[in-house]
Amino acid sequence: MPDTWRSGYGSSVTAAPRPEFDAELKAGLAVVGGMFPPTITPALLDFMRTSYASAPIDDLLAQRRIERLDLPVPGHLGDEIVVSVLRPAGLTGPRPGVVYAHSGGMMFGDRFSGIDLVLDWVDSLGVVLVTVEYRLAPEHPDPYPREDVYAALEWVASHHTDLQIRLDRLLVAGASAGGGLAAGIALQARDRGGPRLCGQVLDYPMLDDRGLTHSTHQFDGVGVWDRVSNETGWDALLGPARGGAGVSPYAAPARAEDLTGLPPAFIDVGAAEIFRDEAMAYADRIWRAGGDAELHVFGGAFHGCDLFAPHTAVGRRMIHVRNSWVEKILAD
Amino acid sequence: MQELLGRIARLDPSASLGLRVIACFDELVVGHVNTRGLLAAAASLAGCPAGFRRISEAACVRVGPKGDLLDGPAPEVPAALRLTTADGLEVWLERDGEPAANDGITLERLSLAVRARHGLVRRDDIRRHAAIMLDRQSSAEERVAAAEALGLTVQGEYRIAAAPLFAQWQQHPGGPEDVIPTRHGPMHVVVLPADHDTVVASPCGLGTVTPVDRLHESFRVAVVALRLCSPPEEPLVDAHAYGGLLTMLANAPEDSHQPDVERMAEVATRPWGLSTVAALLATQSIREAARHAGVHHSTLQSRADVVSSTLGFDPLDGLGRARLGIAFLSHRLRHSTVLELPPPSS
Repeated sequence: MPDTWRSGYGSSVTAAPRPEFDAELKAGLAVVGGMFPPTITPALLDFMRTSYASAPIDDLLAQRRIERLDLPVPGHLGDEIVVSVLRPAGLTGPRPGVVYAHSGGMMFGDRFSGIDLVLDWVDSLGVVLVTVEYRLAPEHPDPYPREDVYAALEWVASHHTDLQIRLDRLLVAGASAGGGLAAGIALQARDRGGPRLCGQVLDYPMLDDRGLTHSTHQFDGVGVWDRVSNETGWDALLGPARGGAGVSPYAAPARAEDLTGLPPAFIDVGAAEIFRDEAMAYADRIWRAGGDAELHVFGGAFHGCDLFAPHTAVGRRMIHVRNSWVEKILAD
Repeated sequence: MQELLGRIARLDPSASLGLRVIACFDELVVGHVNTRGLLAAAASLAGCPAGFRRISEAACVRVGPKGDLLDGPAPEVPAALRLTTADGLEVWLERDGEPAANDGITLERLSLAVRARHGLVRRDDIRRHAAIMLDRQSSAEERVAAAEALGLTVQGEYRIAAAPLFAQWQQHPGGPEDVIPTRHGPMHVVVLPADHDTVVASPCGLGTVTPVDRLHESFRVAVVALRLCSPPEEPLVDAHAYGGLLTMLANAPEDSHQPDVERMAEVATRPWGLSTVAALLATQSIREAARHAGVHHSTLQSRADVVSSTLGFDPLDGLGRARLGIAFLSHRLRHSTVLELPPPSS
């Protein structure tokens, strides 16, 4: 049966009203229309793994004078995984550190996916960035991805002297699926007495497997990550447990009941993406618990638009706002 | 975006990047984007800084490919990378070496957009001929004038081919073409003579053949045809295969109460629902339909019974067939995903 004969998806006349995309972003979409499907089904997994693969990183690092060191670290269950330690060339002495979890819907991407934006922290703030090649679903379902990142965090903390990273200025960060992982390991670190974090940067994070929010249903078939893509990702991670009673709050941080005692959170999200409501709710619950969170919702922004179109006014604003918060927390 | 343009070109060497550049600036003008944003788009497309000044002033605005404002005066730029308008504005691209393939169209569109932003030309006045000709709000005189300006013969008969910018074209018959804004996004249109060569494109809709002052109807029908495409099985839909049906669908108000269509949506919730309806429409009997669908006769019969009871009428009897066909097309139209960005061929 032709793929386009689906019921209930796509540009139905009864579709919910949604905020429009920003004009500069629409112009960008007109240029690159055809590169990224908004609706990712399991059948598209191989394609996405190929097309989402990051651009060759070494030229980019050389241009920005950033040194790279790949190291094996013990991941979940002690299995070896790789991290890359990125450091400004020639900069010695203990530096603030960031443990970074990349984007890719839990199913694709690698530790350099989307890293362009966070390299700003390395070359302008002198941060050491440790980006983790966590194992991907569905081959490695929950808890592999988050336990791999958590294990990398613990490894960074226990090797901070060799890595020349300051333990008193260590934060976790991630975008999209990586943002969900970052929120999850902030919770784990709190509950397991793990490394003390000075912040968590959650960029348009993927926090909630339940898919019940209003914004989840507003963007079927538009943008770069819609409700069906989200179900595909959460299914890959959680299998039949998705949406049910037994999902760990570390895997789906929106389910965490206690948001006290967490490191200060920076949360950004677009007004025109499915994650809008769950990001807003997470910030709101941190504040109700008396915690420190900063929330930015960008009008007309779709998911990851700062990566897609960093030259636009909204893209530049997202990058600037994020970088200035990180500067506040981490800069000398 | 330059990197993305390059990637599109590598994936599909036939892709018309010029149309994409045009569509980009159309969106920026419609969206009231300011000069910095216009320059940022141009710089991002070109992969080098873009600049603007009024020729009566020394001060200029220069923007890099990341949208950053650049200090300093405009560098010397060869004539091929510079465009000065009759009303005293100048735009340029700061590229070392030879101009790139799309620099010309980028500068042309940038200058027009900047002029509109500075109030030197009204947005309405920069509408192109194709947009005027295909707009049902235009008067007949305006449409005919636009058609003549496009080089069409006023007594001739033509039809519109409509495709998204990401369509893949294997055979592209000649004819005036442009990109025009629609509520489905920018649409690539080609005006074809009635006796045109075969079109091989996916996805693509061919509208009805009409005289030049009714091409706006051909366009609306072409969009309906396009939205009925199902690549790869049915990459192109020709309205003539449906007689007047697509015209009827094009003219039906979208929010009209259509109980048959709503029940078709229920049929569609079954995994075999729509393929059963398709088989019934393609054949004369349950037996043939079963062969068409590749299932046992009794399987098709029981599925057809479910379809029948869901719809509330007999889809094989008299007008029931017509109702089935129209509800099926209407449902596919309402739930069409063909204009969503598909994955490119890897």
